Amino acid sequence: MIYLDYSATTPVLYDVLESYNKASRDYIGNANSLHALGVKSKALLDSATKQISELFNVEEQEIIYTSGATEANNMIIKGIAFAYKNRGNHIIVSKLEHPSVYVICEYLEMCGFKISYVDNDEEGLIDFEDLKRKIKPETILVSICGVNSEMGLRQPLKTIRQIIKKENPNTFFHSDITQGVGKIPINLHDVDLASISGHKIFGPKGIGMIYKAEKITLTPIIHGVSKNTSLNPGTPPLPLIVAFSKALRIALDDLDKKENLIKRLNDKICLEIAKYDTIKINKTRYSIPHILNLSLMSIKPETLIHALDEYEIYIGTNTACSSGELSNAVMAVYGETKRALTTVRISISAITTNDEINKFLKAFKEEYEKLSKTSH
Amino acid sequence: MDKLIIIKYGELSTKKDNINFFIDCLNKNIKLAVNDLKLMTKFDRGRMFIMGEEEQLNKAINALKKVFGIHEMMIGYKINSDQMPDIEQTLVTLLKEQEFNTFKVETKRSNKAYPGTSLAISKHLGGIILKALPNKQVAINHPELLVTIEIRKEGTYFYYESIPGLGGYPVGVQGKGLLMLSGGIDSPVAGYLAIKRGVKLAAVYFESPPHTSVQAKNKVLKLAKILAPYNNDIKVHIINFTKIQEAIYQNIPRDYLITIMRRMMYRISAIINYNMKGHVIINGESIGQVASQTLASMKAINEVVKIPVIRPVACFDKLEIIRLAEQIGTYETSILPYEDCCTIFVPEHPVIKPSITKCLAYEKLIPYEELIYEAVANQEVIKVVAKEEKEVHPLL
Repeated sequence: MIYLDYSATTPVLYDVLESYNKASRDYIGNANSLHALGVKSKALLDSATKQISELFNVEEQEIIYTSGATEANNMIIKGIAFAYKNRGNHIIVSKLEHPSVYVICEYLEMCGFKISYVDNDEEGLIDFEDLKRKIKPETILVSICGVNSEMGLRQPLKTIRQIIKKENPNTFFHSDITQGVGKIPINLHDVDLASISGHKIFGPKGIGMIYKAEKITLTPIIHGVSKNTSLNPGTPPLPLIVAFSKALRIALDDLDKKENLIKRLNDKICLEIAKYDTIKINKTRYSIPHILNLSLMSIKPETLIHALDEYEIYIGTNTACSSGELSNAVMAVYGETKRALTTVRISISAITTNDEINKFLKAFKEEYEKLSKTSH
Repeated sequence: MDKLIIIKYGELSTKKDNINFFIDCLNKNIKLAVNDLKLMTKFDRGRMFIMGEEEQLNKAINALKKVFGIHEMMIGYKINSDQMPDIEQTLVTLLKEQEFNTFKVETKRSNKAYPGTSLAISKHLGGIILKALPNKQVAINHPELLVTIEIRKEGTYFYYESIPGLGGYPVGVQGKGLLMLSGGIDSPVAGYLAIKRGVKLAAVYFESPPHTSVQAKNKVLKLAKILAPYNNDIKVHIINFTKIQEAIYQNIPRDYLITIMRRMMYRISAIINYNMKGHVIINGESIGQVASQTLASMKAINEVVKIPVIRPVACFDKLEIIRLAEQIGTYETSILPYEDCCTIFVPEHPVIKPSITKCLAYEKLIPYEELIYEAVANQEVIKVVAKEEKEVHPLL
């Protein structure tokens, strides 16, 4: 099997899964219970959270666990909207967001909020001038992803934050950094709020977190009894949290070294794909090497993906969460409908090998040539 | 150019005969505080120099902010030359990065063979700065930036940035004392103030399982962890107080419960203190705060021990204590809501003017000497270390 869809999800690392299993087996107490088993679980929970806080250089109480990035985006964007609606009803998002962000925005529009979409330049960088123009006194939130999921476009979060705070110091800055964590260095102090997911960093599915600077209030969207914060009530999923903490520690190790390896593989694919006249490589200088987006133009992406299934080679369409639709990012950067409709996404990780890429390129060549004959 | 920290000793300079003992102790404490960092330390003429890479020095500064006995830390720069052109160039390079309007240059020459007087060198270097940096002025009396230049045989030192230290005496110079650590707001502050005057602390905590919880004990250990960096680690003696407390509850009239309980705690503390060769007991009592802390109560309770009992916060208002607790960083932990020995079995109307005669009579109702012996024999001692253990949990 050759897996090249790491941006959709990653397999769980063996050690991470072991931690999950051991935590499930040996820490049966509810971390909220008073008895010794509860205390033991609470101690492990606290250690896991402490480790995350140290890895990100933030306070422990600034970490809120969620089921993943979609839940995190919901809790943050709706939570800010409802908590600060007395300040204003305006929210700005980019055109490069994960689809979940747009669905939340549609919902908020029904609730009376106004949503603006900030432009980006032809290389996918946020248009700073447009951002400045769009920030108004009633703007309560700007949400711009740290790394776009379709083309891997990376945004300078620190600069964006400075621009936002200069225009309106009361506007909060949220970034969905799900596709950035474990790939590029991230400083959480460059944002006010962030969404992170566990299953993109070789952790289990069903766990993620919010970073929320301490002074910010979110209106909870889930209500229940809680010992920690009012935002994530219920019994803490200790095995998931432990596994997430461990996955994060491993993911943040040796970022440079991993990126170099991945860049070499990315270059290799690009060099080969450039030989095909019709295929367009959707890559700018802001794309990170972990995510490579191609427009097949003359071939339907689904057809190629199914063809590669036969070789047990797995690549993605624009994002797993919106398969078969137009790629927002490719549309936002290139403005060509056909180009945006025919994208595939190859995502590489540090465990991808040279051999896997060679095999992929060979299979790609065979299938592409075969399919080209039947296309028009 | 190398960056370095220069440590100045504070109140120590008032000690005449003992100064060397004080300084040795401080130097030892400083070394302990930074022993996990890659640094070079050097002692010279009543000061200490710490050298190393920038990142390590920054960590050292944070660690040294918790060492009592340091009056002031100066951030300095050193060049391995005493030649005037080198000094001029370095000075201008350094000050270019600084924001100031008025300044003054002071020169010291430990190498008295160096040509020119200190004053003449200062004047000359002041002139160089005025020429090189626009819009700066010399201010002799209250300069925004006081630049000190020390010309020595081995090179030249520049310093102008000062970071205040904690002051006080080096921990240990006064010997040891035992802190009665309850988990409340007052006792950690009392401990901190005692450390400040050079007392090396151990702590005693009374637990009463199952009436008190593991969480309560963990809270006390957490408080000890916050005090540990100031004290070069801290030993916590944990006394199981259940039997004594139950015996008191079953046999002693309600209004004397707390008085007798405190007398037992004092007795136990005195024994631990004796065993560890300590000189004093320290606690967080504050005059009149609760029934057991009225002057009459203090007298009736204190009567059972012969060693001094120091109460550093005795004359502070509660709000003053809270302010200190916030500064030290113990407040947030102290207010966690767990029962401790002093909050269980509380009578509705405790006596506020207890009589010693009555105390003695009531105490005859329980075999307290045996119970105390047993409690001390079964104590658990936990060493709470100042340095963060860098061990990763096997599951993490």
